[in-house]
Amino acid sequence: MSLSSALSIAQSSIRNVGRQTSVVSRNVLEANNPDYSRRTAVVSSTAPGAHVVQVQRATSDQLFRQNLGALSQWSGQSTLYAGMERLGVAVNGVDNATSAATAIGRLQEALQLYSASPANQNLAENSLDAARQVVRSLNDGSAAIQSFRSQADVDMAASVGELNSLLADFKNANDLVIAGTRAGREVSDQLDQRDATLKKIAEYVPVTTFSRGDNDMVLMTGDGTMLFETVPRAVTFTPSSVLAAGVAGNAIYIDGVAVRGGNPSSGKLAGLTQLRENVAATMQSQLDEIARGLVTAFAETAPAQPDAPGLFTWPGAPSMPPAGTLVPGLAGSIRLNAAIDSAQGGNPNLLRDGGANGAAYVANATGGASYSSLLIAYSDRIDAPGSFDPAAGINPDVSLGAYSANSIGWFESARKTTFSTLQSSEALAVRTAEALSNETGVNVDMEMSLLLDLEHSYEASARLISVIDEMLSTLMAAVR
Amino acid sequence: MKASFVSTSAVSQALRYSMQRTQSSLVSAQKEVATGKVADTGLALGAQTAQVVSFARDLDRLNGIVDSNALVTARLSATQLALGKLTATAQDFLSTLTASVSGDAASAITQAAGKTALEEMTSILNTSQNGEYLFAGVNTDVKPVNDFADPASASKIAFDAAFQAHFGFTQADPAAAGITAPQMDAFLTAALEPQFLGAGWQASWSNASDQKIVSRIALNETTETSVNANADGMRKLAMAAASISDLLGSNLSAAGKAQLVARSVALVGEAIASLGQLQSQTGIVEKRVSDASERITMQADLLEKHIVDIEGVDPYKASTRVSDLLSSIETSYALTARIQQLSLLRFLG
Repeated sequence: MSLSSALSIAQSSIRNVGRQTSVVSRNVLEANNPDYSRRTAVVSSTAPGAHVVQVQRATSDQLFRQNLGALSQWSGQSTLYAGMERLGVAVNGVDNATSAATAIGRLQEALQLYSASPANQNLAENSLDAARQVVRSLNDGSAAIQSFRSQADVDMAASVGELNSLLADFKNANDLVIAGTRAGREVSDQLDQRDATLKKIAEYVPVTTFSRGDNDMVLMTGDGTMLFETVPRAVTFTPSSVLAAGVAGNAIYIDGVAVRGGNPSSGKLAGLTQLRENVAATMQSQLDEIARGLVTAFAETAPAQPDAPGLFTWPGAPSMPPAGTLVPGLAGSIRLNAAIDSAQGGNPNLLRDGGANGAAYVANATGGASYSSLLIAYSDRIDAPGSFDPAAGINPDVSLGAYSANSIGWFESARKTTFSTLQSSEALAVRTAEALSNETGVNVDMEMSLLLDLEHSYEASARLISVIDEMLSTLMAAVR
Repeated sequence: MKASFVSTSAVSQALRYSMQRTQSSLVSAQKEVATGKVADTGLALGAQTAQVVSFARDLDRLNGIVDSNALVTARLSATQLALGKLTATAQDFLSTLTASVSGDAASAITQAAGKTALEEMTSILNTSQNGEYLFAGVNTDVKPVNDFADPASASKIAFDAAFQAHFGFTQADPAAAGITAPQMDAFLTAALEPQFLGAGWQASWSNASDQKIVSRIALNETTETSVNANADGMRKLAMAAASISDLLGSNLSAAGKAQLVARSVALVGEAIASLGQLQSQTGIVEKRVSDASERITMQADLLEKHIVDIEGVDPYKASTRVSDLLSSIETSYALTARIQQLSLLRFLG
């Protein structure tokens, strides 16, 4: 040991303190970046007096994976819930004010009033107006659903584009990590970047990861489809320009495997698929069934004549829609019968008397102006048990009135389930993010106290150097 | 050191998240206090929303039926009033006829009474309300009874034709003075009765439809809620009044006139009895309608209560929740301010 070796040890200490300080200042700088992992400068001795500083990155794989899963579910559920909110308001209106169920109730009321005073032309017009509301509710609802489905289709195309570009980013980050690891460089920044991209990818699809040698990472979706392995796998989707009722849209394919919807949905892609293919499509078929129920309930009957559409008619008139079978798109094409609708030059009295399909169907044979039996019968038929297509997802053996109310019940029940899953997945996402941040994030106070330590050791080293300097000068003076 | 590690961003993030949650619950709690209902029916009730929707619809329907029952009740009470007036007319007529039988009244007076009775009856049966003829059955846009006083009316023509066909001469013919009591009786039975009590009534006298107006008075109850001019009482009264007013002033023999008056007394008596029956039938329907309305109102009240039970919130609970939320938000503001102050940096010189 000599003075010169003491000097070099003090010098190396100052160098180490400098590097440690730089780590501390980087930590403080990134304290509020959620994608940043805390670095720790670890000092280790190699030979007496020789110290090296190694930078370590705080990680917690398990918490990170948990957070990824929670993010996927939260993203899927929030897409689903937001979509259902929009769909519900577009189809049923605020507080179900424009729903088919409400409109049918109004029509029944109007018919009741009309049947109490059938000679009154104003009440006939009033009933027609209520019937127009029913048609409008169904037509508008159907149009809203179709535009919603098209919008979901557009969103799906955009999401697929974003996912593909995220996967490309992921490849770049992954390549840098591998290259850095092989060269023995410090790759903390690249790892941070890769994790940040991974979090974004998890919002679109649920991801499982595993690592291979050289820090290489492989991504698979929740159901085991390969998403990234050295290179990104293709995520493809062909948007449809027009989505008609009852026509399924194209699926999103990841590496050739279709993404399925479902409730709860994990990831934005599954959420959008679920909205477009299940929620909106089922709602459409329920509206179609309500429309078919209306055409059937108001059908004109006559002995030895086939039943024919009365107040409500459809493009297939004069034949009736097949009983108990869904007719896709009927809600969009149901109309008031031009023979009855005064706005189309029809005769409103035909609603009371029958005969929209010709004289053979006239029920009021004597032509009395206060004939009410047919009006009462229409109202009864709305309350009579019908048979609906079970494909529309709700109990098929109920009356038209109950069916239309049950359709709202079905939707709200789905919305409620989605909301509660959304809440729990949101809580999970926040909680895991917090835990992950506690595990890998920066505490500024801690860094500051570290800084104090570093300051002390710097002072001590500087002091040492000046003492050694003094000693050397004393020695030199003696020699001289 | 690692066990209790807390990152700076986690501290502020956690505060922010809990603040967000509290504020969003505050919004819905405020709404609940203001409306007394759950903030989002769908989220609170799920599938049960269907029940609320159908209850609300049933409630509106029931109220609609109560309204339409008011229309029916108005028609029925107007009918009842008209029937009362008709009975009074018949009774006045009967007393004049009775006086005439005992020989006190001159036939001109009896004839005038017949004419009055007929005119009154025609006017009562042609009463309209709200643009609808009360006694027309379902045929409410057509005047139920033709005016016998008009020589061109179907009823007058048919009456004259029946006389001419039976006797071979008109009422004004001098030969009419030779009609005997049995001949008169035969004419009344064979010629006039089919005119009034038979198919002739609807051919020449009445335009009313036999079909009565049917109304729904409760969710699953319908009933006939009108009386028509084809009822027995009206026909008999019309027969007596028409024949008296027409024949008593003609060249008829005294014996024939006496026979006519005698038959008319019996007819009007029967008419009064059957009018009374109509009145009581109408009264029964009136009662049925008012009972139905009462029942429906009770049902509606129950439904309303049910709806409130399902989607209502306890106002006390809701307002307590608002104040709880408010105080927890205030606490969290205070906490945030203090935690932000808490930093080692402030103590490092």
